[in-house]
Amino acid sequence: MQRASSENPGESAGALLALSNDLAGAVERAGRAVVAIYARPRVPSSGILWRPDVVVAADHTIKRDEEITVTLPDGRSVPASLAGRDLSTDLAVLKLQNADLPAAEIGDTASLRVGHLVLALGRSGGNSLGASLGVISTLSGAWRTWRGGHIDQFVRLDLAIYTGFSGSALVDASGRVVGLNTSGLARGMALAIPTSTVNRVAEELLVKGHIARGYLGLGMQPVVLSHALQKKLGLPSNSALIIVSVEPDGPAEKAGALIGDVLVALDGTPVSDTDDVQAKLGREYIGKELTASILRGGAVAELVIQVGERPRKDK
Amino acid sequence: MVERLRRVTVQVRGGRGGGAGVLWCSDGPRSHWIITNAHVARGPRAGLVLPDGRFLYAEVRATDPQRDLAALSVPAAGLPAADIGDSGGIRVGELVLAVGNPWGLVGAVAAGIVHAVGPIYACNRPSCIQADVRLAPGNSGGPLADARGRVIGINSMVAGGLALAIPSNEVERFLRGLGRQCGDATEAA
Repeated sequence: MQRASSENPGESAGALLALSNDLAGAVERAGRAVVAIYARPRVPSSGILWRPDVVVAADHTIKRDEEITVTLPDGRSVPASLAGRDLSTDLAVLKLQNADLPAAEIGDTASLRVGHLVLALGRSGGNSLGASLGVISTLSGAWRTWRGGHIDQFVRLDLAIYTGFSGSALVDASGRVVGLNTSGLARGMALAIPTSTVNRVAEELLVKGHIARGYLGLGMQPVVLSHALQKKLGLPSNSALIIVSVEPDGPAEKAGALIGDVLVALDGTPVSDTDDVQAKLGREYIGKELTASILRGGAVAELVIQVGERPRKDK
Repeated sequence: MVERLRRVTVQVRGGRGGGAGVLWCSDGPRSHWIITNAHVARGPRAGLVLPDGRFLYAEVRATDPQRDLAALSVPAAGLPAADIGDSGGIRVGELVLAVGNPWGLVGAVAAGIVHAVGPIYACNRPSCIQADVRLAPGNSGGPLADARGRVIGINSMVAGGLALAIPSNEVERFLRGLGRQCGDATEAA
């Protein structure tokens, strides 16, 4: 009995030590691709060397377009230019000058399971590397941010996103980067953007400088339809979208949409929430004509709207 | 390991509220050094509650508000001493344990990792350990230990949700500055 109790702690201490060393090793490996970004007053933010001369960051931490500097893992400070940014996925891409460092080892976010140990690695306080430990708290399928950005997987983290940790790397136990952490997508909740989404958005930002998105020029909110009306129209849901604003000269106004019209279907698909409309506004819809079924004065009418491209704020 | 750490962690009742302290080393057969924070041991004396429940008065021998360290001694023999680690070898990401009395909960343990080391933004001292571990008032002065259970720091404050600890090597330097080196005195005696 005595022997057993004296042996077990030794074994568990050995396992603990091995885990501790593995974690420190993972930090060391992944930390070589984590940078500090100076693009806002006071606290810098974090970024990941996605390619030898490309850094990905959280868009909401990039407060200026010019005079951005990046502190590299080797301590050098280099100028960076903003190659593009996308508010809807909270991603920004910076191009570095005179930096040729090994890029991050990118893993697949889809390999993660709820409960897996993960680290957030940032470089915010001074230039020293910072780490926080936690687990994957929730995983689910593709989702759309409140600004309409499409994210391939919902990854919620049970770890602390410290000040300056938006843009930090989500690192798995083997030291591979499996996402970009941000607190800017869902009211401060610690979320990670999957690597596949970062790849897709970064690619497009590098080529075009922005993410093209379809645009109707409408403001809408859900309304409840009467049971009789729902039955008469044969709608699957008793919710539809009432138009509360119409952009002057926007695609919808040109098609004749008016404030007060109730949108019940778009492109033949019933709509009950703005998400259903967003689903028809991917870049592949730009230039296409969509049939909008609306209720006006109790009668159904159809409008043909040619989807435009969302105007960019930064222009 | 936690049991071992708890055996060298004491409650310190000095200033307001109190905190924790570490049974650092023995200084001869009739005296023992306890390390805590300067902001925990404010007066010339401080009350100690040992892990076995004994209450003792300790003399505050030296304080260093700059480092936020205080050295206390008690005239007691046979007390355990902490296993002190080398804070120079700390790596970011390694596991750490903190023992203390957060909100008066005696002997509570918190686990986390080393967040950063060295000269740190949030810490005005030249050297600091910043740990991703949840601490509260009452953890002040208590031990921060590595995965071997060796004490690598003294928890001192919480800034921006992160624990700041004074590295064990800094504590050893503080004790040497007092002309005391753990072990030496025992050998001399």
